[in-house]
Amino acid sequence: MVVLREGMCPGLEEGLVRDLRAADIKTVEDLVSSDMEELAQKCSVSYKALFAIRRVLLAQHTAFPVSGADLYEELLSSTAILSTGNPSLDKLLDSGLYTGEITELSGGPGSGKSQVCFGVAVHISFHLKQSVIFIDTTGGFTASRLLQMLQTETRNTEEQMEALQRIHVFRLFDVYALLDCLYSLRGGGLQQASVGGGSVKAVIVDSVSAVISPLLGGKPNEGDISFYWSIIVHHTCGCVYT
Amino acid sequence: MTESGAQLFARLEARRCLKDIEPRLFPEDGGPNHGEVVELYGPEGTGKTELLYHLLCRCVLPVASGGLEVDVVFVDTDYSLDMLRLVSILDNRLSAARSAGSPSAAADEAVLRSCLSRLLVVHCSSSSQLLLTLHFLETTLTSRPGLALLLIDSINAFYWLDRSEGGASFARQEEKLSKCAELLGRLLRDYKITVFATCHAIRRSYSGSSSASSSSSTSSFASTSTTESDKPFLCRPWQRLVTHRLLCSKQEAPKNMAATAGGSKEQKTRQVFTVSTASSSSSSKTKTFRSSSYYVTDGGVEFIGPNTKVS
Repeated sequence: MVVLREGMCPGLEEGLVRDLRAADIKTVEDLVSSDMEELAQKCSVSYKALFAIRRVLLAQHTAFPVSGADLYEELLSSTAILSTGNPSLDKLLDSGLYTGEITELSGGPGSGKSQVCFGVAVHISFHLKQSVIFIDTTGGFTASRLLQMLQTETRNTEEQMEALQRIHVFRLFDVYALLDCLYSLRGGGLQQASVGGGSVKAVIVDSVSAVISPLLGGKPNEGDISFYWSIIVHHTCGCVYT
Repeated sequence: MTESGAQLFARLEARRCLKDIEPRLFPEDGGPNHGEVVELYGPEGTGKTELLYHLLCRCVLPVASGGLEVDVVFVDTDYSLDMLRLVSILDNRLSAARSAGSPSAAADEAVLRSCLSRLLVVHCSSSSQLLLTLHFLETTLTSRPGLALLLIDSINAFYWLDRSEGGASFARQEEKLSKCAELLGRLLRDYKITVFATCHAIRRSYSGSSSASSSSSTSSFASTSTTESDKPFLCRPWQRLVTHRLLCSKQEAPKNMAATAGGSKEQKTRQVFTVSTASSSSSSKTKTFRSSSYYVTDGGVEFIGPNTKVS
């Protein structure tokens, strides 16, 4: 619900906002859904002006419809397929991780999910030379394991260091911190993280269940996580989360 | 409210009736008429979005390839629209319907592009944005008289968000979706479009495999009873709008052992999805029911007819 304030759009001054509030119109949704003629009479403002304000507010706050053809073009030009470094895994995933999609790895404890995540992170940062954001919620992330994996790829310590630098780690241990982190990444954190090496190509979360299972006793809140998650996916990242 | 001549004309001109959109889903001559709402209901993984893609392709394809050539608006509330899947289904249908003469790749591309240009996609991230978008769509409806179908995937994406924002009172929790439903009702009456919406089931039925004594009784009830998990849970204004309700579910495909000439056995298991339709249209006061099953293949939804062997 977006509250009406003066200055939101040309023509919406303080006086008008006060009159609208007196007529019980407090939010943009109320304004858009109400009858323009009646409202214009109540607030003693011209119908044309009010209609123009309604149109601008609607254009500002609506999701804009996109033609299917344009969407497809954009998808073709911006989607990249990231190899996971493991040819048989690539085959399972239809040649790799697609940007703009979420891949979920689920399995029992000790089945190798975190190892796969490390492998993907190492592959993207070393071979593809792109940045990776690794969100660790279990405390199971160790840089020495990554170094071990990199040492099998190359003996050059410079290259190893560079690859490690491209992996950005966040350590969070509850779901609200995770949501905040995702929210800040969406708000521009991805650009910030890209300063070092190539742009951020993958966001890996290990693991989502560790932060959500404490909440599952009551009302299921996964709606929140997948909600923020879906928004962040739209920053052209291939995401892997266990 | 005053409207221009063009708007009046666009409103009164009859939009394409979608009664014949999928005769295998609806009872005899019971397809969705002007201004009717179809709700596809079911737990995850039961093929609701696949059905939506199937209907979408049916609408945007040219008449020569078995389509209806109408414009469609797809409202995506959980960012799950898979364009690549959609395009592969369209490709499949177009190549299946293509005549024997050798087609050029460029002509194919052009037809695909013209199909996609009949589709408008909107992404919504909250129910207030959904409300504003529906207001905005009114102008789109007036400017595009060929627009006959509105698809919403899914209508209850914001259910938990609204409930947590609404606090303790049910009225406040349901307020936003009720407003959306009322606005949809007005758009349906004024512009005579058809709406299909998917709704995820939020309650799981824990009945599991019933004992032998009760299984016979449940099978006789199967077509008419609704279990706890199938009860509609969205607000009343939305429930009043819905005329047809499709309950989607997944079945375990029976394992079929076919012995070939060489004596080796082949095992084919394909996931069978079922959909049971309950329609209460305004013309007939009685409720009609229909059940159908389908597979999901690379080329989209494939219905199992009376002649098809279930494998």
